[in-house]
Amino acid sequence: MAHVSVPMYWRTIPQRYRLVGMQCKKCGKVNFPPKGVCKYCNASSEFAEVRLSGKGKVHTFTLIGAGGAPPEFAEQEKAGGVYPVTIVELEEGPKVIGQMADVNPKDVTIGMPVRAELRRIYEEEGVVRYGFKFVPLEGGA
Amino acid sequence: MRKVAIVGAGQSRYGEFPDKSIKELFLEAYQDMAKSVDRGYDPKRVGAAYIGNLGCGGFQLGNMSALVSEYVGLPYVHAMRIENACASGGYALVTAAMDVMAGVHDVVLAGGVEKMTDVSGLKTKYWLGVSGDTEYERLAGTTFSGLYALIAQRHMHEFGTTREHLSMVAVKNHKNGAQNPKAQFQRETTLEKAMKAPMVAAPLNLFDCCSTTDGASAVLVTSAEKAKEFTDTPIYIEGFGTASDYLAIHDRVATTTLEGTRRAADQAYKMAGVGPKDIQIAEVHDCFTIAELLAYEDLGFCEKGQAGPYLMEGHTQITGDRPVNASGGLKAKGHPIGSTGTGQAYEMFHQLRGDVQKPTRQVKGVERGLLHNVGGSGGTVVVTVLAR
Ligand SMILES: [Zn+2]
Repeated sequence: MAHVSVPMYWRTIPQRYRLVGMQCKKCGKVNFPPKGVCKYCNASSEFAEVRLSGKGKVHTFTLIGAGGAPPEFAEQEKAGGVYPVTIVELEEGPKVIGQMADVNPKDVTIGMPVRAELRRIYEEEGVVRYGFKFVPLEGGA
Repeated sequence: MRKVAIVGAGQSRYGEFPDKSIKELFLEAYQDMAKSVDRGYDPKRVGAAYIGNLGCGGFQLGNMSALVSEYVGLPYVHAMRIENACASGGYALVTAAMDVMAGVHDVVLAGGVEKMTDVSGLKTKYWLGVSGDTEYERLAGTTFSGLYALIAQRHMHEFGTTREHLSMVAVKNHKNGAQNPKAQFQRETTLEKAMKAPMVAAPLNLFDCCSTTDGASAVLVTSAEKAKEFTDTPIYIEGFGTASDYLAIHDRVATTTLEGTRRAADQAYKMAGVGPKDIQIAEVHDCFTIAELLAYEDLGFCEKGQAGPYLMEGHTQITGDRPVNASGGLKAKGHPIGSTGTGQAYEMFHQLRGDVQKPTRQVKGVERGLLHNVGGSGGTVVVTVLAR
């Protein structure tokens, strides 16, 4: 049973591959992921596309173990063990959830500087899905 | 608008019942409700049935309210399935209250039912995941344990909440559940055992999470003036409030506050003309231990960030000045999604009347209580104030 079908996934590729945010033409704030109406002013649905840097800081995190992984990520957990999931506060303002890679789960801390990279997320319905994951930012902040 | 009262409340046993269908579970709760109506229950008076249900594994998504209603002998009513994830039952109750307040029907059934153990473990996880944000949270590899873990980690960081605080919620609720003959887990646990349970989504371990449960509940709602035709001790719905929030946690104003709870509680207190200090007993949504701590704060029982110390001081123990989850809560009593909200109402109905099935769980002399029911990680919240 697929949770996010291929067409559903395909529609969000600009966000997943290139972190395309939507800058509100009324209040100037960046909505990421996109909203139908700007979530900051609730008054405009006119946006300009902006590409986010992908850099930010860990706002909070969890380490997902065997019992916490959804079925489609169970294989990843079995093969690689506990995996970190974070909410990152991006430098442009928005927060976004994503997995962390290239890090020992024990070393993840709140406030840690990270940047987004295009990675393999998982496979469902026979299609490999790619999207951003966060990795530690070399040289810190 | 008319004042509204609850005049009967019933609940099935909560647990794993491979031999029972949703219809049979609902019947058990319905008959228990009928028995509780002091002057007798007459199904012919019921005009509407609002049934909370998430989806029962997809077996009867359409028309399930008609199905369980006719099965218990209530055909030809205004039957509706109410779905707001884990808050479905609480929303069924306030929908029934709104119906009676508006004067559309005089006597209304509110209930809930869920069958979670008929499907395989993986499918259960699928169904539990359908109430979260699918496109981002699910695709980051989380289920609800992971989402509440993100909240817990931040709460620990901002306010110094500890591993022990989390585990004490489980210890307290299991202690109460051990006194509840209808609870899924009728056994106590120790702090040491709760703290050392296997990690599910750090910082949350197995004892921080509620289980999967089958169960049903039913309450009978009528107008305050008609209530005396059913009983001398109706329980009045003094106030209620509901609020939705951004589905994904990363979209919310704050990570450590359920804004839905705050707003729903504000409305409920205002309608009832009371404040948090007037609440003597509460059933709150402890799907994860951190959720009960958030509830203390967001309902105004203590200051933001102070839930850990507030718990450790013993206020919310069954012997404390404001017992919380005397039933055992979602943690020990069980969490049959759609049934949870009206199951809370069942507990409070009997607590406030002083006729709890097992007297060791009875809190004495309480006159006003609060119900708090949360959908998913806070996407929907309903708060209800009840009084005798
Ligand atoms: Zn705007």
